[in-house]
Amino acid sequence: MSLVAKLYNNVLRRSSTYALAIVTGAFFFERGFDMATEHLYSEINKGKLWKDIKHNYAPAE
Amino acid sequence: MLSFVARSANVSSATVAATQTVANGTKALCPAVSIQIERTLVPPAPQKLTTNSLTASLPKTPIRAAASLGGAIQVRFAHTDIQVPDFSAYRRSSVKDSTADTRSSAASRQGFSYLIVGSGAVGGAYAAKSLVGEFVSSMSASADVLALAKIEVKLNDIPEGKNVTFKWRGKPLFIRHRTAAEIDAESNVDLSSLRDPQLDSDRAQRPEWLVLLGVCTHLGCVPIANSGDFGGYYCPCHGSHYDASGRIRKGPAPLNLEIPIHTFVDENTLVVG
Repeated sequence: MSLVAKLYNNVLRRSSTYALAIVTGAFFFERGFDMATEHLYSEINKGKLWKDIKHNYAPAE
Repeated sequence: MLSFVARSANVSSATVAATQTVANGTKALCPAVSIQIERTLVPPAPQKLTTNSLTASLPKTPIRAAASLGGAIQVRFAHTDIQVPDFSAYRRSSVKDSTADTRSSAASRQGFSYLIVGSGAVGGAYAAKSLVGEFVSSMSASADVLALAKIEVKLNDIPEGKNVTFKWRGKPLFIRHRTAAEIDAESNVDLSSLRDPQLDSDRAQRPEWLVLLGVCTHLGCVPIANSGDFGGYYCPCHGSHYDASGRIRKGPAPLNLEIPIHTFVDENTLVVG
């Protein structure tokens, strides 16, 4: 039995487990998606963000 | 035949000839006649050379079933030269062969469909959650409001026995550095003699520091510190007297002065709010 078939028989087949899988999936997807987009944003704007230029203004600690 | 004659009695005069003709029962009713059946003439199929002749070859009247022993019993308009489209590009590889067992691959095929729908639902749930979060968070207090919600006070600037007034959330805030005599007097007050009974230890987290909202509980005037009959606060508007713990002792005010939420961060720093 393939992986997808196994997944289907155990999770996707019942609406209860399917909905639960969607909710937990959404939780981890949110975390991953937010981190990925945040990383992409700071990569594109490297050198312009406050965390990159902070040392020019704040006294060295 | 008799019955025919009887029934047609009223018209017998007109049918005399007929009755006489069939009076002989041995004879056939009518002589055998060969009937010439008129054959339906079907126009020959036109040669399809122009749009006009093409249209002429199309059926324009309702189709009637016709049957005969020798002839065709059905009219077919479907052309056998039309090929069935090839859908194999859209078929899943496990069911491309029409003789293959579909049941064994059903779980993986349906699982794939459900996975696609499920991942769409995950994305949708994320989008809906962020949308709702965005709208709800737009209703919360903005950063400038939150920045004004707290006040930090350096306590070692306030000498003992002094009352200092700050502005906090648009209201006067009293911070009183109490002397040992005041602490002693307030902690020994009989609770039964108070209008709004409250222990001094419940009102002051640290006995030497009293933090109060400077709003009279009667009608909202600002009391004057270090005055009045009880050495605490006195409201000039209607003459309410508060003691050095901010409790109402005399006058029209019904309640003690309000104590805001405050924490002592360290020995010399107080945060109100």
